[in-house]
Amino acid sequence: MEGTSYQRFPKIKIRVVKDDYMEFELRETDASIANALRRVMIAEVPTIAIDLVEIEVNSSVLNDEFIAHRLGLIPLISERAMAMRFSRDCDACDGDGQCEFCSVEFHLRAKCINDQTLEVASKDLISSDHTVIPVDYPDSATGEENKGIIIVKLRRGQELMLRAIARKGIGKDHAKWSPAATVTFMYEPEIYINEELMETLTLDQKKEFVDSCPTKVFAIDPLTDQVVVNDAEAYTYDEEVLKKAEAMGKPGLVEIHAKEDSFIFKVESTGAIKASQLVFNAIQVLKQKLDAVRLSADTVEADEQFGELGAHMRGG
Amino acid sequence: MNAPDRYERFVVPEGVSKVSYERDTKIINAASFTVEREDHTIGNILRMQLHRDDNVLFAGYKLPHPLKYKILLRIHTTSQSSPMQAYNQAIDDLDKELDHLKNEFETELARHTGKMMEY
Repeated sequence: MEGTSYQRFPKIKIRVVKDDYMEFELRETDASIANALRRVMIAEVPTIAIDLVEIEVNSSVLNDEFIAHRLGLIPLISERAMAMRFSRDCDACDGDGQCEFCSVEFHLRAKCINDQTLEVASKDLISSDHTVIPVDYPDSATGEENKGIIIVKLRRGQELMLRAIARKGIGKDHAKWSPAATVTFMYEPEIYINEELMETLTLDQKKEFVDSCPTKVFAIDPLTDQVVVNDAEAYTYDEEVLKKAEAMGKPGLVEIHAKEDSFIFKVESTGAIKASQLVFNAIQVLKQKLDAVRLSADTVEADEQFGELGAHMRGG
Repeated sequence: MNAPDRYERFVVPEGVSKVSYERDTKIINAASFTVEREDHTIGNILRMQLHRDDNVLFAGYKLPHPLKYKILLRIHTTSQSSPMQAYNQAIDDLDKELDHLKNEFETELARHTGKMMEY
């Protein structure tokens, strides 16, 4: 029957947004959607990473494939990634992946000429496209200039010269293409303290109860000497407080439920894509995946014809 | 030695269609859909959305083997609908839900950064 929709209307509330970290609440949707978003953020949002390395000279202490592996893991700024094509789908360059639409070229030249150890870092990678460069992590702790990710260290006389090609890919293919450092979501806890039962406890018992929780979920209000909820979200769904309440002979002292349709996401990005952009791209990629999975119009037509035939054969 | 290549997880080879289905010969209004090169990401959300449909009597998915990248989705419906209709309806509803989520996210992000700029 057409016309009835079983759609849900999710709500989002953002708590923290930084360049590489984002925390938000997702409500009124199902756990399967939250999990799908998490899986897509880790494995299916496309980024750009070095995929092909041609080494001309390498007299360093690390061998060729070791250096190539390290180069692949360097995060590159991938704002262009959603618009780029995959190398295997590119028709401009017959798929060997060296054209400007589907790849970015890098080169690196380093030779140590003095007695000081030369650190070859990601900053020494020279890109053919100035929008696709290794991620720069501003190191505010020390305050001095950040050299970037160290690839290899060279002694006097050692040299490294190579050409690298970076392509678009997804985390499912290789982890170097994953834009997410960690993506977690938890159910929002609902904590209810039974005040009547709580009154029957002495202050020492209350302190014991508060301390039995491995994280600081509860605290004792210094003014009223009551047990209050300090930080509901620190609860990790270990049931230590419930076990402690039973051990003290007071089951039902607190009741903790997980709200089934309320999730708290924490998204950390590697720097290749901004955290907010990562979530946005994840929603887009999930939509694309759903579109790819639709039944084509002719299979539905064929089914309707078969449906008639089937009904005939069954005497309907 | 026997491990399939990583790109097999998501690249559909030539000649293989992404979605195919088989009607059940013994039960009316029942069908099994085979979706190639997909995993729990799509399987679970489709299954949960199908459960919300009143006309769907049974909806379940499985990955027959973890090294063969396809999902089998089985749907039984009442005579008011058909598995194909239920499947398409579920995808449409999920698409609209994700659209709604995207718009909410955009407005919330704009509102949040606007509020941050005030400081």
